[in-house]
Amino acid sequence: MVEKEESVISEEEAAQYDRQIRLWGLDAQKRLRGSRVLLVGMKGLGAEVAKNLILAGVKALTMLDHEQITEEVTRSQFLIPVDSSEKNRAHASLERAQYLNPMVEVKADNENVENKSDDFFLQFDAVCLTCCSRDLMIKIDQLCHKHQIKFFAGDVFGYHGFTFADLGVEHEFVEEKPKMVKPSQEISDGPEAKKPKIDPNETMMVKKISSFCQLKDALEVDWSGEKMKNLLKRTPNDYFLLQVLLKFRTDKGRDPLPECFPEDSELLLQIRNDVLDSQGLSSDLLPDDFVSWCFSEMAPVCAVVGGVLGQEIVKALSQRDAPHRNFFFFDGIKGSGVVDCLGVK
Amino acid sequence: MALVGSLRKELAEAVASSRVLVVGAGGIGCELLKNLVLSGFVHIDVIDLDTIDVSNLNRQFLFQKKHVGKSKAQIAKESVLKFCPKASITAYHDSIMNPDYNVEFFRNFTLVMNALDNRAARNHVNRMCLAADIPLIESGTAGYLGQVTVIKKGVTECYECQPKPTQKTFPGCTIRNTPSEPIHCIVWAKYLFNQLFGEEDADQEVSPDTADPEAAWEPEEAAARAGASNKDGDIKRVSTKDWAKSTGYDTVKLFNKLFKDDIKYLLTMDKLWRKRKAPVPLDWNEVYNIDFLNAESCDSKAEFTVVGLKDQQILDLKSCAVLFAKSVETLRARLAEKGEKAELVWDKDDPPSMDFVTAAANLRMHIFSMNMKSKFDVKSMAGNIIPAIATTNAVIAGLIVLEALKILSGTVEQCKTVFLNKQPNPRKKLLVPCALDPPNPNCYVCASRPEVTVKMNVNKVLVQTLQDKILKEKFGMVAPDVQIEDGKGTILISSEEGETEGNNRKCLVEFGIRNGSRLQSDDFLQDYTLLVNIVHCEDLEKDIEFEVVGDAPEKAPQKLTEDPEKNIANGSDDGAQPSTSKAQEQDDVLIVDSDEEPSSAVSDINMEDRTQKRKLEQEDDHIRAKRMRVEQPADQDDDIIALD
Repeated sequence: MVEKEESVISEEEAAQYDRQIRLWGLDAQKRLRGSRVLLVGMKGLGAEVAKNLILAGVKALTMLDHEQITEEVTRSQFLIPVDSSEKNRAHASLERAQYLNPMVEVKADNENVENKSDDFFLQFDAVCLTCCSRDLMIKIDQLCHKHQIKFFAGDVFGYHGFTFADLGVEHEFVEEKPKMVKPSQEISDGPEAKKPKIDPNETMMVKKISSFCQLKDALEVDWSGEKMKNLLKRTPNDYFLLQVLLKFRTDKGRDPLPECFPEDSELLLQIRNDVLDSQGLSSDLLPDDFVSWCFSEMAPVCAVVGGVLGQEIVKALSQRDAPHRNFFFFDGIKGSGVVDCLGVK
Repeated sequence: MALVGSLRKELAEAVASSRVLVVGAGGIGCELLKNLVLSGFVHIDVIDLDTIDVSNLNRQFLFQKKHVGKSKAQIAKESVLKFCPKASITAYHDSIMNPDYNVEFFRNFTLVMNALDNRAARNHVNRMCLAADIPLIESGTAGYLGQVTVIKKGVTECYECQPKPTQKTFPGCTIRNTPSEPIHCIVWAKYLFNQLFGEEDADQEVSPDTADPEAAWEPEEAAARAGASNKDGDIKRVSTKDWAKSTGYDTVKLFNKLFKDDIKYLLTMDKLWRKRKAPVPLDWNEVYNIDFLNAESCDSKAEFTVVGLKDQQILDLKSCAVLFAKSVETLRARLAEKGEKAELVWDKDDPPSMDFVTAAANLRMHIFSMNMKSKFDVKSMAGNIIPAIATTNAVIAGLIVLEALKILSGTVEQCKTVFLNKQPNPRKKLLVPCALDPPNPNCYVCASRPEVTVKMNVNKVLVQTLQDKILKEKFGMVAPDVQIEDGKGTILISSEEGETEGNNRKCLVEFGIRNGSRLQSDDFLQDYTLLVNIVHCEDLEKDIEFEVVGDAPEKAPQKLTEDPEKNIANGSDDGAQPSTSKAQEQDDVLIVDSDEEPSSAVSDINMEDRTQKRKLEQEDDHIRAKRMRVEQPADQDDDIIALD
């Protein structure tokens, strides 16, 4: 679990983290300072999450990616310098990632996450997967869930993006609430008030608990039955888009590529039919034009999704403020960002 | 369909050939520059007058520690070129309000994106973009919240179509006589700084206000007091700075005057203390010798406890006094070094300046029976600090580029205002897109012939006040030219330096201005003409010099309603609508201004308007009520209920 650092925050940290300490408080900053995070996949989204976590001041961040740099990636990844001699995505990102905040231990690892032993994951307080196959994500989530490691996943497909969180069965956190001030109280910020009022400067911390399900349950919702009809109406179709894109990834071993647009869009439509049919759902849920908007990683979408995902990781590690449970879906065309809960009993 | 990355070929080409202007290279600006180049934008101009500070480094990721003190625009450009050398970036270390950046300059761009933190600049860029007819994307963040919107002349509201809440100010007598909250003491301390070391301002008096209407048992008494003290030629006649100089800034004398004598004087105004707790004066010797008089205070000697930051400790009374003395001495020496007519500028990042305000404010809080505040908290309030993090800025900057792409696609009608909330609303939305509103036909900026009516006492208001407080501060002009519509076209104010200097200290009435007069005010740089109708009024509230007719005292924020259309797109329900709910989206966050007191690093650059507006974040009452209803009682075993 997160090491609780008892030592005082240094002057250097206080100066650098001043504006965020004023937002989430010193306790939260200390917890971040004691946290180790594993980040898998250093494409556009990975770079955004890495930046956000390093700036926030975690203890350590390991960037794990076995893939080589491609031309496509240099377009959407700002941590890799153009003249980099490194060929591996994680190693090429290391220097600029470290520059973001020398107080964080930033590491690069070029192994394939599939080949990592269970023990490897146990050294982390949070794990965040991008660019992983559905089966791999499910497997790692199960491991994390068992060991109370905070689990996150996220991906960007063109104008669309999603995040998922599994913070375990009993995730504890605090929320800051304004304190009601009674006139008889000794503590007051002024001469006797005639009636109670909310003093904006006085707040109290309220403890809460939130419960999360595993990724497997979240992705394998059974839509049959009358009760599910209402839920279906309220579920964003981005959820089904995610299922289609994950299936594509599993079948083709890659994401849709712009240079293969004709054949990939053909395949996407096919997969859409298969995925929805197999769940007894109409293909109207995902009209054909979806294929136009899910190719490649759009930089601004990586920024939005990376921002939300980064902040969720910060919240979970610092145990402050209510986490989004359990999906966040972003549609860059509509500008809509929705939090939805699927699979939780 | 041909794709270049994620974009359709035509759009990718429009992006690559566009030229854009980014105003501001701070929190939003850094993220925005990164997103722009990664999205294929090539020709980017970026302007920022500021230099890099260590407190920027938690989010302005293009900067490192070694860059502290350097130009934000310049370093941002250099950092971006490292991962995108093909970008063609022009950096300006300058203020966007500099007249060099005229309408012609703005016309060079396909679109302009603001990444600002103050209203004066936003107003100015708004007008420049209207004048040049260039689309503008506005944005702002504060803490976890953010907002993006699009402004296009004739199509959408401009930035000034809806009145924005103005900065909260406190009446003079509250600051000088009857403070009841720490902020009053902090404002007093900042005034004191200026009176002693900085630019003396008649609106920033710190001595007891004898003309306080509340102090008088009989109405005539207040006037008599005011008259009497003038006749006696007491301290009020001599400026505070001159008096301080005459004593050599003797800290004991200063302390006793401010915290003992002046307080004793306040006590003689006994009516003020009938219903309030009376202030308790402090004497330097008593405070300084506290150790011997009261053993208890030894424990409270300032020791750095392990729990909080050093700055979060609350000082005991004696330590405050010592801090006061120390900072006065440091500032006095600094002032002396600078020479005869020198003035210091208060800077929250300058330790002695901050120490001075912390000490003086806390001493005053103690006198008025308030709990003292740590330096950390005083800095927040005195410096108008808005907490800020990387992720909020990252999200907003992403949304800005998405709106930019819509504009470049030629689909401005699809642009939206998007709000980023901290938690999802009852309809599960964390990001709330809303339709843009059409221009306000009565807008005093973008209407075809803008006009306003202003109430004031023409016998008292000076030309200088009209220029600075009304035209510049209130109506956002940078360099006003004013003509009286008196048939002769009398020039009241000229933006050319020196031309109408002689008019400044005269009252408006001396120029024949009276009830019903009309003033034509122009700002040629902004290509903006405003007709000002004068209504003569003699009974405005104390401390209020003018009132704009049509301004409510505390304007409620604009309720933006979600466009229902967009939820029902071609039979493919986006699914997020609860079928029974008819509630309209009313999550509001105003575009927030950070308006931090700039560090002294920027004082070298001539800034026209250093407005000091505090961040205001307001929720619609309806939503606040809704949120309170779903709150769980404070109980350890509570579960979160997902809002369905």
